[in-house]
Amino acid sequence: MIRHLFKLIWNRKKSNFLLITEIFFCFLVLFGVLSFIVYNVRNYTRPLGFKHENVWLLTMRPSTDSTAQNRQIVEQVIQRVRAFPEVDQASLISSNAPFSFSQMNNHFSYGDVKRIDSDVYEVQDEFKDVMQIQVNQGRWFGTSDDASHHEPVVINKALQRVLFGEEDALGKIIHVDDSTNFQVVGITDYYRAGSEFSAEDPAVFTRINLKKNPKYFANEMLIRVKPGTGIDFEEKMVKEISGIGKDWALEVATLEKMRQNKAKVTIIPMIALGLVCGFLILNVALGLFGVLWYNISRRNSEIGLRRALGAASGQIYRQFIGEVLVLATFGLIFGVLFAVQFPLLQVFQVDSEVYFIALAGAVVLIYLLTTFCALYPSRQAAAIHPAIALHED
Amino acid sequence: MITLSNIEKVYQTKTIETVALQNVNLTVPKGEFLSIMGPSGCGKSTLLNIMGLLDIPSSGIVTIDGQPIETYKDKELAHIRNQKIGFVFQSYHLVNDLSVMDNVELPLLYRSSISGSERTKRAKAALEKVGLSARTQHYPNQLSGGQRQRVAIARALVGQPEIILADEPTGNLDSVMGEEVMNILLDLNRLDGTTIVMVTHDENMALKTERLVRFFDGQQVSDSKLIANFQQV
Repeated sequence: MIRHLFKLIWNRKKSNFLLITEIFFCFLVLFGVLSFIVYNVRNYTRPLGFKHENVWLLTMRPSTDSTAQNRQIVEQVIQRVRAFPEVDQASLISSNAPFSFSQMNNHFSYGDVKRIDSDVYEVQDEFKDVMQIQVNQGRWFGTSDDASHHEPVVINKALQRVLFGEEDALGKIIHVDDSTNFQVVGITDYYRAGSEFSAEDPAVFTRINLKKNPKYFANEMLIRVKPGTGIDFEEKMVKEISGIGKDWALEVATLEKMRQNKAKVTIIPMIALGLVCGFLILNVALGLFGVLWYNISRRNSEIGLRRALGAASGQIYRQFIGEVLVLATFGLIFGVLFAVQFPLLQVFQVDSEVYFIALAGAVVLIYLLTTFCALYPSRQAAAIHPAIALHED
Repeated sequence: MITLSNIEKVYQTKTIETVALQNVNLTVPKGEFLSIMGPSGCGKSTLLNIMGLLDIPSSGIVTIDGQPIETYKDKELAHIRNQKIGFVFQSYHLVNDLSVMDNVELPLLYRSSISGSERTKRAKAALEKVGLSARTQHYPNQLSGGQRQRVAIARALVGQPEIILADEPTGNLDSVMGEEVMNILLDLNRLDGTTIVMVTHDENMALKTERLVRFFDGQQVSDSKLIANFQQV
C-alpha cells in the first residue's frame, strides 16, 4: 500500500506541487528556528565556568585624563574595597567583565597553528577567587610569576583544543602576533562570559601586574561580597570610594542583574521567532486543512470505488492519512537535502549536532502537523457512504 | 448465490419519504447471468447496491452463499466485497492518476496476502482476458470509452470474484463497443461460471442474458428465463 500511495502522489505531483512547496518552506522555517533554539538551549545547559552570585561590578569613570593620578586612585580603591569586612575578594578586570556588552580579543599562534582568534581577559591574581574559577590543569597565576621570563596565562579548553590539539599545553609558549610571548600555566574547563547562551569560545586570561606595569589602568572591578550583603553596603562603599576618587562617576551592578539583561538579548528574539514561527505554522496548518478537505471532497467517487473494491472505512481513513504523510515526505526530501548543507558546509561555525537535532525535530514536527491536519478530513472521507459517493461522478 | 428476501428500501428526509424498493424477493443462483431492466428511478441501482453490500436495506434479508449479512460489520462487508464481488459501472470509475495496470491491481491492494509480483501477474492476466495487454502503462484518459470499460471489467475480475455486478456497463458506449463489452461479460459467465447481475436500459443486451427481471416503481414486475436466446457453450 505504501508503494501505491507514493505512486499516487507522484502521479499527482502537478496538483500537489503547491502543497509540497508549502511543506518545504514550513520545514525550512522550522529548521531555522529550531537550530537557533537548540543552539541556545545546548549552550544554556553547559557550565559557565564561574559563579556569578554575590559578585558586583564596580565601574569607575575618572574625572581627569591624568593616567598616573587615576592609577593611584584605583590602587587606593582596591585596597579600600578589599578591606571591607563585607567583601570576600576583589579584582580589577578589563572592560569585558562577565555578561557585559563589550569584547576584547586577539590572535594567538602556536607552531603551525596561526592567528587563532580568542577572547582576552585581563585580570588580577584575585580574579580566580572572585569568580571561583576551577583550574583543572596547572595553576592560576600569582606572585610567584612576578619573576618569570614570560607573561603567564591561563587558557580554557576551547583554546587548548584549537591551538594544541592533543598536545599538552602546560608550559608552552604562545605568541600574540609574533610580538608578545605568553606561557600557559593553567587550563580551565569552561569560561563563557558572554552570556548563558554563548558558545564556548577560546579564552585567555592574562595577568594584571600593577607592580610591573605602572601605567596600566583598568576602570572596572569585580567584587565578591559575602552572601546576604545588600544595598546598604553598596551605598556605604560608593560613599567611601567617592571620597577617594573625587568627582569620579561610580556605578555598581550585580552580575545577576547583568546576566538577566544579557539573557534578554537572546530570549527576546527567540520568543519573537517562536511566535512568528507559530503563526506561520498555524497558517500552514489551516491552509493544509482546507486543501485536504477540498481534495477529499473532489475524490468522493474514488472513495466510493475503493469502498466497492473492498476497502473498509478504516482503510480509507488510513489511506488519506498515509497520502498526507507521503506528501509531507516529498516536501521533506527537498527540505532535508537543503538543510543538510548547513552541517556539511559548516555554515555559521555551529556544531553539526545542533543542525542534526533541529533537522530531526523539524521532520517530526512536520509529520505531526500534517497528520493532525489530515485527521478530520480523513475521518470525513472514511464516513462517506459508498453508494452515494459512486453516484456523484 | 445471492438471495434477497422481502427487501424494502426507503429514503427518508425531514419532509419526504421515498420508497426505492418494495417487497423484493430475488434469488440469483451461482453461474447465472441475470439482467435487470426498468425505467430510470425504478430502483435498479439501489437493488444492485444492496446486492453489492454497498447499501443496506431498510428491511428484509440479504444472504450471500447462504450467509445473512445483516449482522456483519463494515470490515466484514468490505471483506466480502473484496473477495466475492466485482463491480462494473456505467462511468467506469477508473482512477485517472493511475495507469491501467495500477487501476486493475486496485482490488488486490486490499488483500494483504497477495504480494506485489502476484498482483502484477494477476492484473496482466486480467488485462489479457479483456484484450488490453498492450495498454498496461497507458492512463485512462488515453483510452477510448470501450477500452476504459474493458479496464473496469479487468479490474472487476482480477480478484476472481464469484459475482460481477454491472451497472449499465454499456450505457456510455456506442453499439460496437457495447457489443464488445457484452461479449466479454458473456464469456466470463460461460467460460468461468461467474455469476453476473447486469442493470441495463438496452433491451437487446438484456435479451442476450439468461434471465431478465423487470422493475417498475421499486417493485419487481416480471421475471423471465431467456434460455432460447442465451447460447450455452
